[in-house]
Amino acid sequence: MISCTDFIPAYSELFKFLEKRGGRPAVVGFWEYLSDNFLGNFRSLIEEHGLRGCWIYWSHTLNEEAADFTMELDEEAGLFVIEMHRCPSKGRLLENDRIEPYHDYCGHCEVLYGRVLDSLGFEYECDLSKCDQATCRLIVKKP
Amino acid sequence: MTKEVMRRTAADNEYLHKDFHGALSAGIDYLDEHFGPEAVREYLDQFAAKYYGQVTDALSSRGLVALKEHFERLYRIEGGTVRVTLDDDELLVEVEACPAVTHMRKNNLPVARLFGETTRTVNEAICRGTPFAAELVEYDEQTGRSRQRFYRRAAS
Repeated sequence: MISCTDFIPAYSELFKFLEKRGGRPAVVGFWEYLSDNFLGNFRSLIEEHGLRGCWIYWSHTLNEEAADFTMELDEEAGLFVIEMHRCPSKGRLLENDRIEPYHDYCGHCEVLYGRVLDSLGFEYECDLSKCDQATCRLIVKKP
Repeated sequence: MTKEVMRRTAADNEYLHKDFHGALSAGIDYLDEHFGPEAVREYLDQFAAKYYGQVTDALSSRGLVALKEHFERLYRIEGGTVRVTLDDDELLVEVEACPAVTHMRKNNLPVARLFGETTRTVNEAICRGTPFAAELVEYDEQTGRSRQRFYRRAAS
């Protein structure tokens, strides 16, 4: 068994393996597959609670992942924001001297969550300009 | 309605997100469906050889006690009922129910057809190049219950 605490390096290595086997389309294809087949709970929460579904979903996952973050929900303004001060996944990869992170590791978040949110009519932006420092900003807007 | 804010630091929580088992399972299924079962084994072998290289080094230098410590750490993190028995040249790891499979079954997450390779292939990769070999004696796909045996290779 691979411990869930060892998953992130396994995930990053899977992206590299897929790219070597099938090029970039294989990697993006996997992200889309994961979005469609693994994020059913995320989709259900958004469908049921709207923007608050984001708050409920990430309250659970980011706490279990021991992330360093600030999360804001303003339902009147139709805005949900995560300021990721230190992403636990990218942070662990940067600290690991045995595993070189996949060159677009952070790209998976945009595809996984963006695909669900876009299909439900929400605007999704992810600022990854500082992801090499394990920092990013995610914004979901209800138009 | 006012704005709601949540602020957390890494120190506020324990790092344990068991849904990651489901994501790994989905990755194994994707590889299996698109590139075949050998790709699953090749991926897990490459990952384990690289990531668990320190365990392999310790196994070579300190023997099976290093592997015993590895499994005790793993199941201390994940929970579950496991018995680890070390004799002179044999280590037996008996897992009543794999914590990863248990979590996925409980949360209705699909368990990949080849999920057992995360035990078989990973153990074999850890042992490669050492005086020891790994054998998956029993594996139940429904629960992940397993008997994993590690033993000294016969001198050639």
